[in-house]
Amino acid sequence: MGLSVIWYLKEFCRGKWIKTLLFAKTAPLVDPPYFRGYPTLTGKECTHCLSCMMICPTPGAIEVLREGEKWAPKIYPGHCIRCGFCVEACPEDVLDAGRVLETQHRDNTSLSVRYQVTVNPDTCVRCGNCVVACPVNKEADPQLGASGTSANDEVIMRIERGNLWVLHNEKCTGCKTCETVCPTGAIRIARVAEGRQGVEE
Amino acid sequence: MKKTVDVAVPIGPVHPCWKEPIRIKCATKGEQVLSAEVELGYMKKGIERIMQGRPWQEVMFLAERVCGICSVVHNMVFIETMEAISGIEPAERAAFLRVIVNELDRMQSHLIANFSYCYTIEHETLGMYLLNEREHVMDLLERITGNRVNTAYMIPGGVRYDLRPDDADAVKATLDLLEKNITRYMGIFESGPMIALRSRGVGVLTKEDALRAHAVGPTARASGISVDLRSKHPTYRKLGFEPVVRTECDNYARIMVRFGELFQSIGLIRRALAMMPEGPVRGGGICKGGEVRYSGEAPRGELTYVVKADRYGRVEEIAIQTPSIMNIDACAHYMLKGALSIADVTATFISSDPCVACTER
Repeated sequence: MGLSVIWYLKEFCRGKWIKTLLFAKTAPLVDPPYFRGYPTLTGKECTHCLSCMMICPTPGAIEVLREGEKWAPKIYPGHCIRCGFCVEACPEDVLDAGRVLETQHRDNTSLSVRYQVTVNPDTCVRCGNCVVACPVNKEADPQLGASGTSANDEVIMRIERGNLWVLHNEKCTGCKTCETVCPTGAIRIARVAEGRQGVEE
Repeated sequence: MKKTVDVAVPIGPVHPCWKEPIRIKCATKGEQVLSAEVELGYMKKGIERIMQGRPWQEVMFLAERVCGICSVVHNMVFIETMEAISGIEPAERAAFLRVIVNELDRMQSHLIANFSYCYTIEHETLGMYLLNEREHVMDLLERITGNRVNTAYMIPGGVRYDLRPDDADAVKATLDLLEKNITRYMGIFESGPMIALRSRGVGVLTKEDALRAHAVGPTARASGISVDLRSKHPTYRKLGFEPVVRTECDNYARIMVRFGELFQSIGLIRRALAMMPEGPVRGGGICKGGEVRYSGEAPRGELTYVVKADRYGRVEEIAIQTPSIMNIDACAHYMLKGALSIADVTATFISSDPCVACTER
């Protein structure tokens, strides 16, 4: 009995253990530098090109808002999935997350996106809503007809001879306004993305 | 005929051993299980419907979210399907980086599967040791890809980030540590008499039954079937891949196959780091239209994506077949039949590494 008490004291009252128990400190909870967190602003000037919004895979995660005289992207953390695509897509390095920007500069990688207007002629009712709603169209021809007709050849699309014609696909900025106003879901913007390396913009 | 079933014991959908909701109804006679039936459908997400009409840069994130544990392989198989549709070849260095990240993901998945088994047979000490090792693997994943779980690492034509100069050394050092520790824990599992009582000869799935039930992955390999889709993958063939096969057919064999695959993964990562050429990690390439059925080896077995894309690379139709449904069926119809105790049902079920989130999508 006596022996076992001494054995227990020896076994469990080690100075090192007691010291650890009393003075142990948990490492501070900091994100490692390579952790890809929510995108943060780097302070460079945003040009309101909306590339970040167009590549974002989640609805409602990023918006470009006007703050005084300048534009600045705003991240909604509840929606953002921290994929880092907005950082890669931004041509002006406005955003940064983890080491995404750093590796992008080091390896010269980029993400290019091309927009393609696709119309399903079977479901299109030629109402012209997409033509009227398109912000690029509005800029190109302020005198757009309410039914989507236009005398200007610089518009992306217009109603002509009872049909919807896509004239300048390359001008599309991928904002998808036409998709939201289309009553039948006939018009859709394909966003064709490509991950590249060593290609100068 | 006289009814021989005493009681139909339902296990689940909420049960301390289950990680995800599923119900197993066992028809019992005394303590013996006569037959078992699995009831699925508690966590249907409808993710394939959400994927429709979206381009790859959106679907790849949805694909990762099919399964929380083996998210990398869903990303990899989906991206390789899109590459097969569009005829894109990944950059050579990127192919090896994909293998490294995929094997790290497989390691953490196998470690958590073995943890679950140890936890289910109430050997929590060993389970927690294994979870501790998993943490090292997750740290490596975070170091390479930037995230622990939904890594979003692979894109058509390559991967998103290259290794930094110090990353390869960190990976090698951690792999040495993991090899040392997992050897010790595998020894504990191999030689533990109490573990053997709960595992050896329990939940036997014979080779014939496994073939009949179309078991896949470690469950099939523990029944003596040498099936592993990695042996058909071009990059794995360069690395000299050989599947791990055991012939005991019981719970013990299934766990030991996973332990064996942990060491195999360590070897594959080391070889990939040594063989990896210098060069770009993104080859570029635009996704095109077409329809392809493509399979890859997930930690749990064969994972198949059937994707039909339109000419701008948008997914029009998609169907995912995940490995767990085969193993859950094999478990319910063959392993549990004739189990000597209700207490073995949970352990046997967990030993087949079911992932309900994958199964129901």
